[in-house]
Amino acid sequence: MTPDDLDRILSSDDALEPSSGFLKNVMAAAQELPDIPPPTFPWRRFLAGQAALMVMAAAGTPLLEKWGAGLTPLAARLAPLAAIAPEFGCAVAATLVAVGVAAIPWLQTRS
Amino acid sequence: MPTMDPDAADVARFLAGDRSGFEAIVGRWQSRLVSLAWRFCRDRATAEDMAQEVFVKAFRSLASFRGDSAFSTWLISIAVNTFRSRLRAEGQPLLSLDPNRVFATARGPSRDLEDRERDEHVRRAVLTLPERYRDAIVVFYFEEKDLGESARILGIPEGTLKARLHRARELLKRRCANLDPLGANLPKVKEAS
Repeated sequence: MTPDDLDRILSSDDALEPSSGFLKNVMAAAQELPDIPPPTFPWRRFLAGQAALMVMAAAGTPLLEKWGAGLTPLAARLAPLAAIAPEFGCAVAATLVAVGVAAIPWLQTRS
Repeated sequence: MPTMDPDAADVARFLAGDRSGFEAIVGRWQSRLVSLAWRFCRDRATAEDMAQEVFVKAFRSLASFRGDSAFSTWLISIAVNTFRSRLRAEGQPLLSLDPNRVFATARGPSRDLEDRERDEHVRRAVLTLPERYRDAIVVFYFEEKDLGESARILGIPEGTLKARLHRARELLKRRCANLDPLGANLPKVKEAS
């Protein structure tokens, strides 16, 4: 058996016509499926995440107070930036919130 | 003036709540999907059953079709994954040697039975290949040797598909080495009880 024989045989496979009731059977099987509700936004997970975030923030505050002194050099480096553009931080935070809110419809379609 | 792809139009109709859109899709694709299923199992009843399963899956997930790929690529990818899972779970159906059941269509006047039997044995030999080689061969020839489209359907790079096709042909040549041009010395095929 040559490669050409193989190629010819595999290229010339017969098509199989479905039996006459096939389409009807498929539609009947599809009609029997229960209507699937549209995907809903995972609010429970979202709220759980928010709660966890708040707990972490609350827990982080005393830690920052306790060991915050060690962060002074870093804070000192960031201070000039804050002095130059105090609005910058607000703008970044606002952008992130806006992106998050805008992403909700997209997340709804993905869930 | 560009005309709208009929699949896209039917998907849009279906998503708007008109189920006849789905019926039109089934009508247009049934022959192709049953033929593809046939190439994976070579048994009419199993082929129709597997093709029906694909349409039901497509019905369920049509809402998630985003049009990132062509509808045909999306549908045939579902089909290949469904056939693969089904055959993995249930194994190949028992195959009959009865010519009336073996061949998909009636005998052509110009070809004799021995030739057709030999060809059928080669096609059945494809089903004995390891899964990744079987899928590569079936999809590549089903897509009329369109390497790019076959790779997209299988979700693998074209280079990987080329390598699999090469290896699959080597295995097939070895397994069909005893088939002479007239179909003598055909390998034994498991017969349906």
